[in-house]
Amino acid sequence: MNKAAMTKCPTIALLGQPNSGKSTLFNGLTGARQRVGNWPGKTVEKKEGYYNRDGARYRVTDLPGTYSLSANSEEEIITRDYIASGQADVVCILADSSQLSRSLFMLADYAGIECPAILLLNLVDVAEAQGKTVDAKKLEEKLGIPVIPFVAADRKQYDRYYEAIDKAMKEKQQISIDSLIARFRTIEKGIYEELLALMPPEGIDNYSPHWLAIKLIEGDAAILEKVKSGLEPKAYLKTQKIRSSIRNGPLQTGGCKFQWIDELLSDTLVQEQDKPLLSKFDRLATHRRWGKPLAILIILLGLVASFIPAAPIMTLGSMIPRLGGPIAEALSAIGASQMLIDLISQVVLNTLYFAVAMIGFVLGVNLVFGFLEEVGYMARVSYVFDGTMAKLGLQGKSVMPLVVSFGCTIGGAAGTRVIDSWGQRVLTIALAWVVPCAATWAIVPVLSSLFFGAWAPLIIVAIFIVAGLHMLITAKIFGSKLIREEERAGLIMELPPYHRPRWKALLRSILVRTWDILARALRVIFLVSLVFWLLTYSASGNPDTSLLYRVGRAIEPVTIIFGLTWQTFLAYFASMISKEAALGVLGSLYLGAGTLFTATVGSGGQMATGLENVLLASLTPPAALAFIFAVTFNAPCLMAITSTYQETRSVKWTLRILGYYFVSSLLLAFLACRIANLFFN
Amino acid sequence: MIALNEVNAGQKVVVSDVKGDQRFLSRATSIGLTIGCRLAILHNEKKFPILFYGRDTVVALNREESKNVLVEVIE
Repeated sequence: MNKAAMTKCPTIALLGQPNSGKSTLFNGLTGARQRVGNWPGKTVEKKEGYYNRDGARYRVTDLPGTYSLSANSEEEIITRDYIASGQADVVCILADSSQLSRSLFMLADYAGIECPAILLLNLVDVAEAQGKTVDAKKLEEKLGIPVIPFVAADRKQYDRYYEAIDKAMKEKQQISIDSLIARFRTIEKGIYEELLALMPPEGIDNYSPHWLAIKLIEGDAAILEKVKSGLEPKAYLKTQKIRSSIRNGPLQTGGCKFQWIDELLSDTLVQEQDKPLLSKFDRLATHRRWGKPLAILIILLGLVASFIPAAPIMTLGSMIPRLGGPIAEALSAIGASQMLIDLISQVVLNTLYFAVAMIGFVLGVNLVFGFLEEVGYMARVSYVFDGTMAKLGLQGKSVMPLVVSFGCTIGGAAGTRVIDSWGQRVLTIALAWVVPCAATWAIVPVLSSLFFGAWAPLIIVAIFIVAGLHMLITAKIFGSKLIREEERAGLIMELPPYHRPRWKALLRSILVRTWDILARALRVIFLVSLVFWLLTYSASGNPDTSLLYRVGRAIEPVTIIFGLTWQTFLAYFASMISKEAALGVLGSLYLGAGTLFTATVGSGGQMATGLENVLLASLTPPAALAFIFAVTFNAPCLMAITSTYQETRSVKWTLRILGYYFVSSLLLAFLACRIANLFFN
Repeated sequence: MIALNEVNAGQKVVVSDVKGDQRFLSRATSIGLTIGCRLAILHNEKKFPILFYGRDTVVALNREESKNVLVEVIE
């Protein structure tokens, strides 16, 4: 995107409570012309994009979804600061028409900010299906700003939005707040007017004196600080004195705001109330006994369903390495060096294979769980699992990525997309890495029964117990840094009404992301594959001339402390690229079957013929157990690491999690080996 | 006047007071919990958040926090 062009064009900020349809509108307006990053110095996602209309370019900023404009969370502060800064020419406020009397709160909280606004009554189709009709024209007369009944998922309706924006830019209308102010005047002892008289008459930034006075009644410390710089010391002292005498400020102003909303809706909203408050399905979904099993069942079905769109793409990806032979032949025919041939036929093709396979699965997971989020079901999962997940410092929705990780950690990491807070998302990913994925189960039972025979199930049980403890400890270690104080507060959340999925809008938002993910995945996977290839490169084709081999042998005195021989250590190291590589690399090292690189990326997780006997002869049971634990609790695979980077958008946190798993898996190997020594010596 | 966590499912109440710090009050207000607001209790099960319906919205509120919401039962 051209930065210079972006700064000159009119800017529209999208503001609304969660579930008001902001993201749908943002994706609908901007399509692929968007950029996702972070707000400067913050962990909150910043989405910016643009659209063109009649030859002019409009910039759109999707503000974080918040319930109000208080300063209780990073999201609210960002939203407020952005609006105050005057960067937006028009603020487009979205309200959910099916829950109008609550979702207009954002409008009431915004009233008094001096920036032109329009109100989009989104989800009118859902409201109509519930028997609710809104008289938008009358509401527009009362509010003094354009009010548009709207369905953000339907792009055919966007002309109404465009026209309203143009009108707002031309006429610069602001919300009429006279009747709202009349209500604020009724607050105890006339403090509103006392504070208003003390405020700078021109306001501060985009905040009018009225708005500042209300925030002071609410006990907003950030606004008090702002006001301090604009007031004489005497006036500031007086302000502080009045403010400290107020009890329950937010409750009083909140009461006024809702009375104003009720008055606005008294003759503009007609609703037939005959439906039960909880549908039959919802009674089951929120049931104290059946809610949880139903959620797990739906998540598992979701995991299976993710493979429907994923499988063809993943199969396509797995066919890419087959091109290696013909490409190598062609290159060799034109006289390319063997190293270049290897680089292209191994690293480049493998990067494509991994990236395409990863995209396939991420796409499937995003589609299925995006659908469950969109129709409103994920909020029910959050409700039934709130108590359980709170023990790990997480919200109820986090159960989904953890369950999905039993199938595949890539999907687990991608599934955290439905979690709205960044800290919660990163912590969930950090915990999802503990969950043994399907590939683990392709290796662990084989090795366990080879070395421990009938005792193998005990190893599996031990892995589950260790995984449980691991999660508790990891949650403590990472939680303290990732979960902000305000998120530790108990849950208050809405369970949005169910509505039919908007496939087009959902697909649009997912496809936009997919390109971004693919580009990032290609970069990360190529870089890591290249480094790993260089480490394992041997001109002779035998592992023993590669750098990794030499390093592995040299540091064996260290790795043996953790119960790992140089062979098992190299196999463990390679399992960070792909879990199945653990067996492939052992095959390569013990039987000389192929290079370390091809053994790592091309291993299907099967035991090579003859490897069983060699392993039994070369490894003691404690060494085998150390290896099993090291591999099980190691980083899941390169694609999961990439997926983690994609969702955390932080190299620092991805490396932190990676480093933590490297160290902790070695530590677990050490413990497993020592404990096993007690039994086998 | 009783706390919200003591109300049975199926009952209807009017909020008479909300206690707590500025953060909680502001959060509760923004989701529609204000004095005089009518709520219908949908679920009140041990170890689960309280589920109620108010201002067109189904809201889940933690048990601990729901002790801070005082209500009058009307039905």
